[in-house]
Amino acid sequence: MGKNLKLKSARAALDMSQKDIADAVGVTRQTINAIENGDYNPTIKLCTAICKVLGKTLNDIFWEDEDDEKKPVG
Amino acid sequence: MKKNQLDEMQVQKRNSIGNQAFLLLMYLLMIDAGLYGFGFRWIEYPANIMIMVTVCAGIYLIRLINNHAYVGPSAENKRPVLRFILMVAIACSVAAGISMMLKNASFTNTAQINEMSAPIMFITAAIAIIIALATLLIKRSQ
Repeated sequence: MGKNLKLKSARAALDMSQKDIADAVGVTRQTINAIENGDYNPTIKLCTAICKVLGKTLNDIFWEDEDDEKKPVG
Repeated sequence: MKKNQLDEMQVQKRNSIGNQAFLLLMYLLMIDAGLYGFGFRWIEYPANIMIMVTVCAGIYLIRLINNHAYVGPSAENKRPVLRFILMVAIACSVAAGISMMLKNASFTNTAQINEMSAPIMFITAAIAIIIALATLLIKRSQ
């Protein structure tokens, strides 16, 4: 699982720290850090809570494009 | 989400660490039983179980704290100074008491260790209950 740069950029756009989001959704800062680094796969409940705080949809933050995973052929 | 409990990642880590600690305890008990079957007794009965359980519980606790899975999100923001000071004082007094007791006991053979293991287990359990009650009372008062 790769890094979740979308979450990081959305957080930075709102000038929020990991601690701010963690407090808003009721988890620890380490959990948000693990999600951003791709070390933890959150439940849909936590995903929606994060999206509500950031004012984004699930697609905006957690949808992984297939193009990102495809490797060039040839 | 409830802030006074562990979050979902902490729960996953706690479960994982708990399973590993349980398996470690089981393997240690099996090794101990195997050694006993071969006629090797490293410490007499109650003390060997006490040591193995204490080691596994210690490993479990240290790994929980190391992985940030011991306290929930709300507890991380609190600074319970009074509770911390009381815990340090109790820990120091317990350590001093145990060391004095062991020094006075001056074990010379395994029979004496066997005799002392029951009181040590009783005192350890009693101290654990006292610490838990003190923590509960302080938490309510704060």
